[in-house]
Amino acid sequence: MSYLDNIRNFSIIAHIDHGKSTLADRLIEKTGLVEKRDMKEQYLDNMDIERERGITIKLQTTRLKYKANNGEEYILNLIDTPGHVDFNYEVSRSLAACDGAVLVVDATQGVEAQTLGNVYLALDEDLEILPVLNKMDLDSARPEDARAEIEDIIGLDASEAPEISAKTGMGIDEMLEKLIEVIPAPEGDPDGKLKALIFDSYYDSYKGVVIYTRIFDGRVKKGDIIKMMNTGKSYEVTEVGYCIPGTVPSDELKAGEVGYICGSIKQVADARVGDTITLASNPTDAPLKGYKKAQSMVYCGIFPAEGEKYENVKDALEKLQVNDAAFNFEPENSAALGYGFRCGFLGLLHMDVITERLAREFDLDVITTLPSVVYKVVMKDGSVLDIQNPSNLPDPTLIAHIEEPIVKADIMTPNEYVGSIMSLCQNRRGNMIHMEYLTKTRVQLHYEIPLNEVIYDFFDALKSRTRGYASLDYEFLRYQTARLVKLDILLNREQIDALSTIVPEEEAMAKGRGICEKLKDIIPRHQFEVPIQAAIGQKIIARETVRAYRKDVLAKCYGGDITRKKKLLEKQKAGKKRMRQFGTVTVPQEAFTEVLKLDDGR
Amino acid sequence: MNKATGIYIHFPFCVKKCNYCAFLSFNADESVRREYANALMKEIELAGRSFSGQISTVYLGGGTPSVMDVALLSLIMKKIRSCFDVKPDAEITIEANPATLGIKDRVVRAKLTAYKYMGINRLSMGVQSMDNNRLTFLGRIHTAENVERDFAIAREMGFDNINLDLIFSVPGESTSDALADARRIIDLGPEHISCYSLQLEEGTPFYRMAEAGEIREISDEEDRKTYHEVVRLLRAAGYEHYEISNFARDGKRSRHNSLYWNMSDYIGLGLGASGFVNGTRYRNLTDLDEYMKAVSEEKLPVMEEHVNSAFDNISEAVFTGLRRIEGISYSDAVSVYRASDGAEDIKGNDEEVFWTIFKDAREEAEKFSEQGLLIIDGEGLRLTSEGIDISNTIMSCFV
Repeated sequence: MSYLDNIRNFSIIAHIDHGKSTLADRLIEKTGLVEKRDMKEQYLDNMDIERERGITIKLQTTRLKYKANNGEEYILNLIDTPGHVDFNYEVSRSLAACDGAVLVVDATQGVEAQTLGNVYLALDEDLEILPVLNKMDLDSARPEDARAEIEDIIGLDASEAPEISAKTGMGIDEMLEKLIEVIPAPEGDPDGKLKALIFDSYYDSYKGVVIYTRIFDGRVKKGDIIKMMNTGKSYEVTEVGYCIPGTVPSDELKAGEVGYICGSIKQVADARVGDTITLASNPTDAPLKGYKKAQSMVYCGIFPAEGEKYENVKDALEKLQVNDAAFNFEPENSAALGYGFRCGFLGLLHMDVITERLAREFDLDVITTLPSVVYKVVMKDGSVLDIQNPSNLPDPTLIAHIEEPIVKADIMTPNEYVGSIMSLCQNRRGNMIHMEYLTKTRVQLHYEIPLNEVIYDFFDALKSRTRGYASLDYEFLRYQTARLVKLDILLNREQIDALSTIVPEEEAMAKGRGICEKLKDIIPRHQFEVPIQAAIGQKIIARETVRAYRKDVLAKCYGGDITRKKKLLEKQKAGKKRMRQFGTVTVPQEAFTEVLKLDDGR
Repeated sequence: MNKATGIYIHFPFCVKKCNYCAFLSFNADESVRREYANALMKEIELAGRSFSGQISTVYLGGGTPSVMDVALLSLIMKKIRSCFDVKPDAEITIEANPATLGIKDRVVRAKLTAYKYMGINRLSMGVQSMDNNRLTFLGRIHTAENVERDFAIAREMGFDNINLDLIFSVPGESTSDALADARRIIDLGPEHISCYSLQLEEGTPFYRMAEAGEIREISDEEDRKTYHEVVRLLRAAGYEHYEISNFARDGKRSRHNSLYWNMSDYIGLGLGASGFVNGTRYRNLTDLDEYMKAVSEEKLPVMEEHVNSAFDNISEAVFTGLRRIEGISYSDAVSVYRASDGAEDIKGNDEEVFWTIFKDAREEAEKFSEQGLLIIDGEGLRLTSEGIDISNTIMSCFV
C-alpha cells in the first residue's frame, strides 16, 4: 500500500455566503493541528474587508489529519479557492491541484449561479464532487428541495449527500468519512521528473515569495534548483514544508503531496499561479496545461487625495503588487488630480479590495476615478491601440472604429424576477442568448453584455431588483465593435479629465444629463454660480448649474444649546477636508466615483 | 466676561405644536403640569445646593411657559428665590405667547399681574407674523388681533421690556409680506425684536410637507434678500442690530441671551434644558418619565455632559461671539482661554496668542477677509453683513 492512499487533496466549492469559511474553520478545529485558540488569529482575522463583506477571497491551504473509522490516519489537504467571479482563473488553478471537491449547498437557498460556475470548473478538472447540505440547523432548511436541485441542475447524485451544519458542527464526522470514500487518492510517481503546480503564492518579508504547490510527479527539497516552466526563471530552493497552516518545514515534498516552497523570490509575479515547477537539471517534458497570464479587465486611476503624499501611495501600491500578481499599476498624470497611478484589476471586487486596503492597511487617503474597461481602438491607418483611460482616446477623426469587451453573463434567479432582470439587462445593452428552466421555479439567463455595463453597479442593481436572490457569474467572451464616444465634463467651463468617460453614442445624451444632475447634487454651492456641462468634442449636450449660495446661517441657538451648534460646525469643517480644489471650484472627492452610480431604476 | 450667571428653566408644554417646531414640547393636562412643577422644584433645590454665586437673569422658556398655571409658576419662582441668590436687578423673562395668557381681557390682566408680582419684568411674545392666514399656516393658535390686545394690556400693566418674535421666509411669503409684518411690529414699539428665518427642521410637519413637495421652501436668495431688508427697516426704526437675529432699542438687549454669546455660565433646569457651569456643558434628560424619576431619586437629571477643554472654550467664544455684530475681541477670546483648565502658556500679546491657537484657521479666515465677509483688525474679528449670510462656513474654521 502506497503512502498516496492515505492522502486526499480537495477544495470546498460554495456560493459566497453558503458557509465555506465556517466549514473550513470547523474542519480545522476538528482535525487540524492548530489549537482552537490560535485559530482565530490565523484564520478569521486574515482580511477585514473579506470578513465584513462575508466573502472570502483567499483562505489558506491547510493540512489536516483525520483518523477514520477504518483505523487509518489520513492526510487531508484542504486547498482553498477564492469565492468570486473576478478570480475565476485562480479558482480553476486551485481546483487543478485537487482530486476532488466538496460542494457546499445551503439547504435553505439551493444552488446558485456562482456555485454552478465553480462546479463546472471542477468538472473541467475532472474532479470527483461530494455534495453536502449545509445550514441544516436552520428551521428553513429544505434538504429535499436542495437535493432535487443538485440532481436536476448539476446532475450529481445527491441522495447520499451528508447533512451538516458547519455552524454547530453537526454531521462533520459523517462528511469526513464520506469524503475519504468519494474523493480519490492522488496518483503520481515520486521517482519521476518533478512536475508541480503553483496554485497560490504570497509574499513574506523574511522568506520572500512562499509558493503553494501540488506535486504531481517527482520530489523537491532544499538546495534543488527549480525552474518555472512558463516564465523560464530559476531559483534555488531555500525551504520546503507543509501548510499546517502556516509554514512548517519538512525534508522534502513528493508526488501527491501539497505544501510550500520558498526560494528567495522577490515578487509573486515571478511565481505565477498556474505555472509548472520542475527541476532545472532534470526537467519534465511539458508543463501542466491551463497556464494563463493575469489580464486586467477593469482599470481606474488612483490619486493621492488632498494632503496625501504621492510617495506614500506608490509605496503602498508596490507592497500590494508584491503580493498580488493580478494587480498592476503605472504612473499617470491628470490635469485635474495631479500625479497618480493607472491601476489594473481583475474586476470590480478586486478593485474595491485594493482601494479599501489602501485606506485600511496603509491609512491612505486616495481618490479613485471611474472604472473603465480596455477598449481596442482601431485607427484609420490600421494600427490598434488598447485604451483604458478615456483621456487617452485619440482624435475621433483618426479612429476607424472602437471595439469593446463583451462578457458572457450567466444569471440564475427565481422565476418571478425574470421580467425585471430582462429589463435591467436590456437597459445595459445586454443580448439574451437563451434562457432555461433549471427547475420549476429556478431560471438561468444567458446574456452577452458589454463589460462596461457590468462594472459600474450591475451587481447591486441585480441584487436590489431580486431582493438578493439572483446570482451572477461572468467571463470575458470577445471584443466587439460598438459606436462609442468620449463624454467630457466641464466644471466652470474647465474640462475635468478625471471625469471623462467612454459611452455608447446613443446613450451619451442621457448619460451626460445624468452625470450633470448627479454632480449638481454632489458639488456644494459656491459663492458664485458653477456651470456643469457635458460635452462630446466641442458640442455641449447637457448643462446644469450649481446656484451660488447666499445662505449658511443658523437663525438661532435654541435655549443656549451651544453643543448642538458646535457639532454642526464640526461636521461642516470635517466636510471641507474631503474637498478637492479645481481652479475656483471645490469638489468632494467622492464625486469621482459617485457620478456613475446612475442606477435610478435603470 | 464671565461675570453674570443666568438660569434657564424649560417648560415643555404647548396648547398645540406648531407646524415648524422641533422643540421639546407637547400638550399635557393639569396633573402632568403639576407633577412637572414638583419635579422642577426638586431639581431647583438640588441645583441650588451646589451653586453659591449670584443670579443675574432668569429665563422661563419653552414650549410655552405661559400655559403653566399661575399658581405653579409662582411656586417655582419662589423656589428659585429661596434656593438661589437672585440679584434685585435681575432680568426675569417669560415667554408668553399671544392667546395663551387668556381669552378674556380680565384673565390676561390677572395673569400679567401675577407675573409682575413674581418679579417677572420682561415678556417675550411669540408673535411670528401679523398676517392671520400665515399664522394659521404656521399652526399658531393666535391672531394678529390677539397680539395687539395682549401687547396693549401688557403695556397698560407697566411691562416696559417686551420682545416680539418674528418669523420670515415662511413658504409662500414674499419679501414685501415680511416687511409688512415687520412694520406692524415696529408700530407696536417693543423694546426688543427677534427675527428668524424659518428653518425646516426634521421631524416637523413642514419638513414632511416639503419632502412630499406640498410646500416649497423659500430660496436662499429670497431669504437673504428679506433678511437684509428687514434689518434695514428695523435699524431705520431705531433698533440696534446687535446679534444675527436680534434687535434692541434704548439699550434693552436681552441680558439673558447675551450670556450665551459671551461664554457666561447659565444653569439649565427642566426637561431637556442645556446648561454651562464651571466650564462644563450639559444637557438634561429629554424623556419626561426618566427626568421625573431622576429627580425623585434626588439626582440631577443630567443626560450628558462635556467638560470643555481650553480650546473648546475659546472655540465656542469665537463662534458664539461672531454671532454678535460687534464680534469677538482677541482679549475676550484669549481671556476665556487663559481662564480655562489646561490652557497652555502661550507667549505674546492677545492677538498673537489668538492666532497661535488658531494658526490652522488663519489662511482661510484671511481669505474670507479678502472677500469682504469677515473683518479682521487689531481688536478682533467680526462678520460683515455679507459674512452673516454664510456665518456657519466662517465659524466652522474655528472649531
